[in-house]
This record gives sequence, C-alpha cells and structure tokens, in this order.
Amino acid sequence: MTILETRNLIKRFGGVHAVDHLSIEVEKGRINGIIGPNGSGKTTLINLLSGMLAMDGGEIIIDDVQKFTQMFPHQVFFYGIARTFQNVRLFEQMTVLDNILVILTKRNVFSSLFEKHTEYHLKKAEEVLQRVDLWKKKNQLAINLSYGQRKLLEIARALVTDAEIYLLDESFTGLFPEMRKIVSNIICELKQENKTVILIEHDMGLIRELCDYIFVMNEGKLLVEGKPNYVLEGKEVIEAYLGK
Amino acid sequence: MEIFSQLIFNSIIAGAVYALIALGFNLIYGATKFLNLAHGVMTAIGGYTVFYFTKTLDWNIYLAVIIGILFAGLIGFSLDKFVYFPLRKRKASNMVLLVASFGAFTAIQAIIAILFNSRFQTLSQNTSAQKSFEIFGGVITQTQLIILASAALIMTGLVLLLHKTRFGKAIKAISDDEEVAKIVGINTNKIIGYVFFIGSAIAGFAGILVGFDTGIEPTMGLDLLFKGVIASIVGGIGNLYGGVLGAFLLGFVENFGIWKISGDWKDAIAFALLIVFLIFRPRGIMNK
Repeated sequence: MTILETRNLIKRFGGVHAVDHLSIEVEKGRINGIIGPNGSGKTTLINLLSGMLAMDGGEIIIDDVQKFTQMFPHQVFFYGIARTFQNVRLFEQMTVLDNILVILTKRNVFSSLFEKHTEYHLKKAEEVLQRVDLWKKKNQLAINLSYGQRKLLEIARALVTDAEIYLLDESFTGLFPEMRKIVSNIICELKQENKTVILIEHDMGLIRELCDYIFVMNEGKLLVEGKPNYVLEGKEVIEAYLGK
Repeated sequence: MEIFSQLIFNSIIAGAVYALIALGFNLIYGATKFLNLAHGVMTAIGGYTVFYFTKTLDWNIYLAVIIGILFAGLIGFSLDKFVYFPLRKRKASNMVLLVASFGAFTAIQAIIAILFNSRFQTLSQNTSAQKSFEIFGGVITQTQLIILASAALIMTGLVLLLHKTRFGKAIKAISDDEEVAKIVGINTNKIIGYVFFIGSAIAGFAGILVGFDTGIEPTMGLDLLFKGVIASIVGGIGNLYGGVLGAFLLGFVENFGIWKISGDWKDAIAFALLIVFLIFRPRGIMNK
C-alpha cells in the first residue's frame, strides 16, 4: 500500500531546479533510503514533504486520499509525519525532558493553562528517552548536550509524536558507533511496528544494511529506484557519485 | 537619610511598574521575535477603561479594574489576530511588523485622545485622603504598596505559568523555534494569541496602577513603552527575569541620578543607561 506519493513535484531556487518533476511512491512499512550526491535535492525533498518549503508545482498525496498542492508545517503532525533535521533543531533553552513533554501538550490551548503532565505522559517521555539512552540526562538543558546526544534527542522527539512516516535527514552523521547502533535499532523497530521510514544517508553500508528500497536522486530528478543490491550496483548510480 | 530612603522607595516603585511593562513586552517578544511597539498603548487602554467605568458610569472600582485588565488583553489579542497574524502568514519581515505595531500604537492613542480629551486625569477618588506610611524617614502611599504587592504577585504568577504548565512549555518551545514547534503539532498561532492577551493585560494593569499613583493621559503609553523597552534591553531582551532585573536597575539609576539635579533629567539618564548597555553589553545582563 502506498502511504506517500509525490507527483511531478517541483522546487526552484532562482533558475536552479532543486527538485525537478519528481514522482515517487513510498510503500507503507518500508525503510526507504534516499541517496544522491550533494546538491541532488534530497533535503529539499524532505523540506517540501514537511511543509518547510513552498512547492512550485506538483502534488503530495498521503494515504492515497489526502492531496496537497502545498504543505504547511502545522499540517505535518496531523497527517502523521515526523522529521529530524540535517542541522539539529531542538528547543535549546528547555530541558531534555521538556523537549519531549512539550510534544505531549494538550491540543486544547485553554486547558493546557491549568493541566499538569500526568503519569502517563511522564511514562511515555521516559520510554522514548530510555530508547535513545538520554533518560539520565533528562534535567539537562538541550543546548548543553553533545552533538550526538542532540541528534538522539531529535529522534526521540520524532518518536514521541507516534507518527506513521518518519523523515530522517542524515541522522547517523557525527554519531559514535554505539549511538549509530541505537539509531539503527530504532529504525528496525519502527519497521517492525509497520511504520514508514524515509532515510537520507551518505553511508552506503548503512543504506545496504537497513533499507528495503532506495531512491537515487541527481540534479533534482529521480535517477533510479529499486532494491539496494540492484540499485547500488547500477552504472548510473556509480557515475552520479564518482563521475563518468 | 530621609532623602536616601525616599529615593530607594521611589526606585523600587518605578522599578515595579517598569517590570510589569517589561514582563509583557518580553513575553511577546520571546514568542514572536519582533518589537511590539503597540504594547505601550495598552497601559493607556487599561487606565482609560477604569477611568470611564468609575468616573463616567460610576461603577464599582474593583469591577472596573478587572474590566480594564481584560479589555487591554482583548485589544492585544485582537491586534495579533487581525493585524500581526495576517502579516506573519504572508511571511512579513520583523521590520514590517514593527511598523504595523507603531501604526496601531498611534491610531489607538489618537482614538483615546478623541474620546477622552488630552488632559491629565487621575483615577484616585480622593488623593488627599490616601493613607501613607513613614518608613526609615521615607514616605510610601497605600497605592504604592498595592503596586509593589501586585507586581510581585504577577511576576510570581507568570513564572509559575511558564514553568509549571503545559501552556508555559509550549510558549518556551515557540520562543526557541516556532517552525519546529509547528511541525511537532503545537498550535503556535493560538498560543501566540494568548501570549498577546496575557502580555497586554499585564501592561493594562500597569497603566491602571500608574493611573492611581500619579494619573493618566493619552500619551502615557509612549513614556512607559520606552521604559519597558530600556528595561528589556538592559536586562536581556526576551528574557523575563532579565526584564525584571533591568526594570529595577533602571528605576534605581533614574531616581538616584536626579538626586542632586532636576527631575527633568530622568529620561535623559534612562536613555544614557540604554546607550551604555548598547555599546558595552548589547545582549543585556542576563543573555549570554
């Protein structure tokens, strides 16, 4: 079943086509890798899917039903999409625990004035922070975490939204081996929970190990797609990375 | 000794009023990242609402104060909903928002002047009958004690709101990164609307207190806005605690600065403090 689809998606920056008539279909419950050389439009695609950038054309379809010619950031959560950023973006002046608890804020603003977090919320926050091994840092300000810990906290923040689709933009970059293991495990667990992951990554070993399916982008276009073994051996892919 | 005590009292009272203005101003700045100049005129809205209900309609003074606070909050909320929100939606720059807020300030101030004339008025029923207390040779009035107590109460309430409620956490998240707050499902526009309500209501209350202590006039918002902004910049813009610290520092510098010279120098001293901070510590005392 297709959970996310783009049809002729376009994004231009001046005269440059960052995403150029891109049409892809993402199956539910799969780990999808998006690879391509620098500047091939991978992050721009994620930014379009999460409403951070305005689309110049085409459409995004979620669950075969919801069609968007424009996504907005505030819609993303409600359509079950969570994301991380290439350059980590946390609520820096808040503690690790509050970075998670704030997601569990009541949607009703007025009632949030008077309600405190319940045991259920604290338990849920503990659960995700344990998963990324940050529970013991729960009272530290996010700004004081190390780079790797910040990346893990961003993943925990995505997890607590209980989304259906996870857009992970270079989540392994700059992580120590034990942290990479934590992120790999989380991605595999998401697959077991029938969640969909879209992973941008430059480490081909990880892509081969984790992904069920790969989209290769070059100059904003889809170069090739398919299973890792088939795609990574392809002549076009090698040429896109290494040149002819 | 008497003068010294009196100057201390005057400094603390001025600091408390400036702190109330700075609290609302910083709360709004923290969430929106633009200088909302219309914040100053909320003081006049609060003051003149109480004036209308007590002097014209002869309503109960406590009820009038509550209406004044709520009305100032409502005007702030409406400004966000009908002026700033549509501009933010169109991705208007902070400069555009600042100019819009200045326009709102001028328009509201003009409306108040038309409705109530420009004369200086007082909210107190009978100034001469007001109780006063002598402490260490200095004199403090009942109204001034109420100013101090209510400023302390509002500061505590705001700190509790920000740290102990989910709403407060959402405000802090928006203050850190509004775009990410949206992506994780926080209703940023609604929360910013409430922030405008709370910040403007506090400014309205400050205006009411000033009205009881000294008096009101349509242009009162400009002076109080300047003092609130100076306090915020000196303390660290966007930082609530910094704003309070800056307000009391401003109150002391201003009042002790005119110890041996004319009171006309007060504003010049306040701006001199601002310039010193802009040159040597532009981020303020509390911001790193």
